[in-house]
Amino acid sequence: MDIKLIITGNGGQGIVFLTRLFAQTAVALGHSVMVSETHGMSQRGGSVISYLKINGDEAPLILRGTADFMIALDSNEAVRNLALLRRAGIVFVNADDGLLPEVESHLERLNIQVMSLPASSLALELGASSIANIIMAGFVVAHPALDIPMKKMTATVEKASTRNAELNLKALETGYQAGMKFFSA
Amino acid sequence: MISQTVLGNEAIAIGIIENGCRVVTAYPGTPSSEILAGVIKHKKRLERDVYTEWSINEKVAFEIALAASWTGLRAAVAMKQVGLNVASDPLFSAAYTGVRGGFVIICADDPGPHSSQTEQDSRLMALVAKVPVFDPSTPAEAREMVKDAFTLSERYKIPVILRPTTRLCHAVQSLIIDGDHSSDDGIPSVKFQRDPPRWTATPKFRNLLHIELNKKLIDIADEFSDSPLNYIVEADSGGKVGIIASGVAFHTAQQALHELGVRVPILKIGTPFPLPQKLVNSFCAQFETLIVLEEPDACIEIQISDRDCVKGRLDGSIPNAGELTPEVVFSVLSKTLSETGYQVNASPEDLELAALIKGLPLPVKPPRLCPGCSHRSAFFAMKRAFGSNAIYPGDIGCYTLGTNLRAVDTFVDMGASITMANGFFQANRLVKDERPVVATIGDSTFLHSGVAPLINAVHTGARFVLLILDNHTTAMTGFQPTAANDYLADRTEAPRKVSIPDLVRACGVEYVTIADPYDQEDFIRILKEAQAHAQSPAGGIAVLIAERPCTLYDQSPILEHPVPVVITEECDGCRYCTEAFECPALVLRPDKSRVDVNYSVCVDCGQCIDACHKGFIVPKLLEISPS
Repeated sequence: MDIKLIITGNGGQGIVFLTRLFAQTAVALGHSVMVSETHGMSQRGGSVISYLKINGDEAPLILRGTADFMIALDSNEAVRNLALLRRAGIVFVNADDGLLPEVESHLERLNIQVMSLPASSLALELGASSIANIIMAGFVVAHPALDIPMKKMTATVEKASTRNAELNLKALETGYQAGMKFFSA
Repeated sequence: MISQTVLGNEAIAIGIIENGCRVVTAYPGTPSSEILAGVIKHKKRLERDVYTEWSINEKVAFEIALAASWTGLRAAVAMKQVGLNVASDPLFSAAYTGVRGGFVIICADDPGPHSSQTEQDSRLMALVAKVPVFDPSTPAEAREMVKDAFTLSERYKIPVILRPTTRLCHAVQSLIIDGDHSSDDGIPSVKFQRDPPRWTATPKFRNLLHIELNKKLIDIADEFSDSPLNYIVEADSGGKVGIIASGVAFHTAQQALHELGVRVPILKIGTPFPLPQKLVNSFCAQFETLIVLEEPDACIEIQISDRDCVKGRLDGSIPNAGELTPEVVFSVLSKTLSETGYQVNASPEDLELAALIKGLPLPVKPPRLCPGCSHRSAFFAMKRAFGSNAIYPGDIGCYTLGTNLRAVDTFVDMGASITMANGFFQANRLVKDERPVVATIGDSTFLHSGVAPLINAVHTGARFVLLILDNHTTAMTGFQPTAANDYLADRTEAPRKVSIPDLVRACGVEYVTIADPYDQEDFIRILKEAQAHAQSPAGGIAVLIAERPCTLYDQSPILEHPVPVVITEECDGCRYCTEAFECPALVLRPDKSRVDVNYSVCVDCGQCIDACHKGFIVPKLLEISPS
């Protein structure tokens, strides 16, 4: 496994937590990781982006045009950072129906796929808007390209949940089931 | 032995603890804030007897750790780059006096800058102060370098700076935490020994100490030329171009070369000052062109005596400000290498897509105060009391964001709200500007460096209103305690706490009022009263302490008295609330027809009721359940 992953959204959406879930799961699988997080002023509601390399080099950031995957908790942030993806990369986005129509022709040309899940709506149905990030984690894990077993991600979420473990696991499962349905279709 | 994910700052903390350091002090500041928390976590894990504290400011932190080193213990102090400005006085002096126990200063730089007022290079501070500096490139290397820094400090009796940057501090790397490092020899049997020519050196002896310091630096530079901290990769790849790289830029360069599809020798410098001249000179002699990659400024580059063939920050080959992002490094290397005859791959970025995205009207989201933040209420009241007809000196902290609300007109550095207000008062008197001056400063910043300016302003008869925004914590950097809290860095009970109102009174301020900014009407009344005091013939400085805990730190006051709101059908989308009050929970519809409450981030503070002067934001009627 050699993966470059971008995770983006807005301050307060749990980007750092989501990034740590993937990093810790990768380490539990025996891989090495290098992550770059956003801290400080930008966390006060501004754009937040993390970079995660699994078994990659030791540079904390990812060169534009080379990321394999992107997980976006906000569709505008997904568009803002699209140029980070390589050809045939995949975007997993918290949205009802894909990205802005203006970028569609380019996505097609670059063979970039967009997988949308209305994670914020699902989170509200489960009773907490704050768990959209964990729903997205389940959704992404269901995709075969990442090669992260759901069992390992479940263990990470369980360990990382200082409170509300039950709700978090439910969120993960909800995203996973949605993904299984989506990706087998 | 299992790997764990470790934040760069925590990796440094592990290095501090596992190398027998006994006293660790710090003042929080992004990107350095997590170092002391990591030290406390790992001293508990390894059951080490280590004294830790969040000091009141960086100078205090520096001197406490220095005294510990003078007794013979290992000591460390952590801060951000602008904190070293505050601690520069003892730094320069300690370079001359030297140290006894290993003394390591961890000073985190912020190329960019991301969360700082400057992107100054602490390696250049080290050069001017004449102390060695280490420049780690990864969390793992930073942890190892702590050991080398303590060893060097003890062998040469000299303070040593470890200089990580934001990208390292906030990198997370997989590391094995347990291992051979964890042995503890116990607290060494040392005691402070008098040494007048050193610890109390008068100018005559200072000259001798200066000569001694210069000699140390020559020896250290020689030693660094053979040190494993400086090494060459891809030495056998030949060619006309060589790269010298330091810090995170070393790995960014390797990443770029991989994408460019070329191999180029890189001299990796872990000790930028004193520069290992012998090693650098012999490396430079092999190439026609040398590229120097370093952040944020030119420290290695200025120490290279013959720079005819050097491309770097000084000759314009590399932008002379800003972070060395992967894209900057890729383009610098691509240009230089192709000009020198190398065949390189094109940029992997799709430029067409990048140009399209740049032109899209994506909403820009500047940082804003959190929903329910009491600073917003204080700023809103200030604007309602004085409007645009006042000068608002601000300070460093979350409340710097008051600039969005036009309630902060200046910020310079920690504590400058009070000194700038003092200066505006004196200048305004001369130029006959009668606008009120209303300054704001947070609790932690006031204690850090606001007290002496306040005494100065009182003593010289300045007249202004000062708001101390007391939210009971150092919020911006992650809720570190201040001297006004009843607990310490490790969450044990503080022996005593400082009363901010008593402190203000002791500075000679006669008008001191404490008020809750959530009570807008009362708060505005007091603001006007305070201004009247500042202007009256018998008056003086008026201090208003705006007291309410940070909503992220302590939600209990809101949970006890929630005020859920709704926006009525009549809302016409006039945007007054979204601009003058700017709460992230108030969202203008894309068609701009009206404003909605985003209930997923709203905290039910009810403060926005006052923010609609048309009365369209109203309390949600509480449903009464049938009994």
